[in-house]
Amino acid sequence: MNLIKSVVAAICLWASAALADPPPGYPFVGFDAGLAAARTSGKPIFLYFGRYGCAWCDHTNKKTFSDAALKKLYTANYELVYVDAESGKRLTLPSGERITEAELGVRLKAFATPLFVYLTPQGDKIVQIPGFKTVQDFRDYDRYVRGGHYKQKTLLEFLGSKS
Amino acid sequence: MRAAALLLVMLAAPTQAAWEWGEALTVNPVQGAAVFPHLESANRQGVAVSGDSVGVVWEDNRDGTPQCYLAIKPGAAAEFQPEIRLSQSACYEPVVLALGAGRFAAAWEEAGSVHARVLPGGGASKLAAAEAAQVTLAAGAGGIYAAWAEQAGRFRRIVVARLALAADTLGVEAARPVEAKVPSNEQGWPALAVAGDGSVTVAWEDRRERHTVPLVSHSRDGRRFSPPARLTDHKSGSVDGLGAGSGAMRPTLATWGPRGVVAVWLDKRDFLSGYDVYAAFDPGKRRFGKNLRVQDSFGDNMAQWHAQVVGDASGRLVAVWDDERDGTPDVWLANWNGKSFDDNVAVPAAAGAGAQSDPVAALDASGRLHVVWLERTDAQAATRIRYARAEWR
Repeated sequence: MNLIKSVVAAICLWASAALADPPPGYPFVGFDAGLAAARTSGKPIFLYFGRYGCAWCDHTNKKTFSDAALKKLYTANYELVYVDAESGKRLTLPSGERITEAELGVRLKAFATPLFVYLTPQGDKIVQIPGFKTVQDFRDYDRYVRGGHYKQKTLLEFLGSKS
Repeated sequence: MRAAALLLVMLAAPTQAAWEWGEALTVNPVQGAAVFPHLESANRQGVAVSGDSVGVVWEDNRDGTPQCYLAIKPGAAAEFQPEIRLSQSACYEPVVLALGAGRFAAAWEEAGSVHARVLPGGGASKLAAAEAAQVTLAAGAGGIYAAWAEQAGRFRRIVVARLALAADTLGVEAARPVEAKVPSNEQGWPALAVAGDGSVTVAWEDRRERHTVPLVSHSRDGRRFSPPARLTDHKSGSVDGLGAGSGAMRPTLATWGPRGVVAVWLDKRDFLSGYDVYAAFDPGKRRFGKNLRVQDSFGDNMAQWHAQVVGDASGRLVAVWDDERDGTPDVWLANWNGKSFDDNVAVPAAAGAGAQSDPVAALDASGRLHVVWLERTDAQAATRIRYARAEWR
């Protein structure tokens, strides 16, 4: 009986992981925890703004975030934050304002999910990128952010000039 | 001859009735760059009109923690009276309901439960026995009801309660979950409406289908509820085996006409242009019909936010929301003309430079429209809660 319960629980966990939310195996945390961690570690923040049941999020998770090297790169160098576009869960912005995760979408002017937002360790926005992206895209964004290129160039300028 | 022709032209031109707006007032007296007022709540019930008094509820952090407030403007007063603090500890998502003759009921989340209080004067009472949030209130046909999202195992579920008003205190007469079974996924953000026949309609966000779907249930007596049905007629589901479906969120309900109920919510069925405002009508059969898009074509290619619908017994119906079609967030409204929603018009005092957002609205017994919104002239400025009233002329 206990074995059946365990199997059912495992299937439930697998189902909820497979259908939505951040990619499995990555140490994504909530907004407040991620900001606090970034202030301590000094790492930039990679914010995954997803939606429960979102097909393009699922596609990105399966196609892109399944890459082991990308997982290693982002896990080592970013504080990973996941926010649910329709959630009433509360978070606190760097300004001190308390809003819901859904309201963060209003502030980000989000029109589609997934939306990927890179933030400084202080929580200031560097760049935000909507839609499905490839492993190479995320490698380019990483160079743009951690290389500090955002201080001189827009992302488009950077991508246009990369060799 | 020319004068006579001009007169004929003027007489032949159709008279276009429209909302005629009064001067906008500021509701919140305490403002500051680090004070953040919010008008968010289940069913977006931030304003109510009781007799000729207007009541507005909100939450702000002026005291270092979020607290909930009610400000009242008596009909004869030029301004809102000093606000009444509703909460003792961190407070979220307050709602207000008109009880008549200048009295109000407010409800809010505090200390892990939901509370209600009659104002002015009454004491606060706790409504839920378990951990609860996202409370809303509705009244009609002699009954007062509350709905909230209550913890039941791993997830929250929707509970509807009939309230009893005795000696300026609201108590729970009977509280029941809409569904007896333990929820299989999260439920929240309930909206309530009590129609002219006394029946109760409750709508909420539901994740049992692995994406957010607004569901609705009816009860003739507020005790037994019908099996939940989808508000959306859009058949959402996975795409090529990916995901689980497009999202729809924050349903709001209003009574309309003698027995009708109308629902408005944010819907992402067109997933590339953000959420759109959609509506569905139940003329009294306790079944919602096909979905209608509320915003006009000028608002199609951008996200709409913070939608609410308000109605009255005469059949008047207005939807409000905010979007950035003119470059910055403005408050928009659409009137129901009996067949469709009219072209969208901006609320004059809630449009233009800066951000005007998060509208909440109410129609009073005389058909006047009361709208409250947040206004921030620039990113560094303090946020004001603004109020304006309009008459249909």
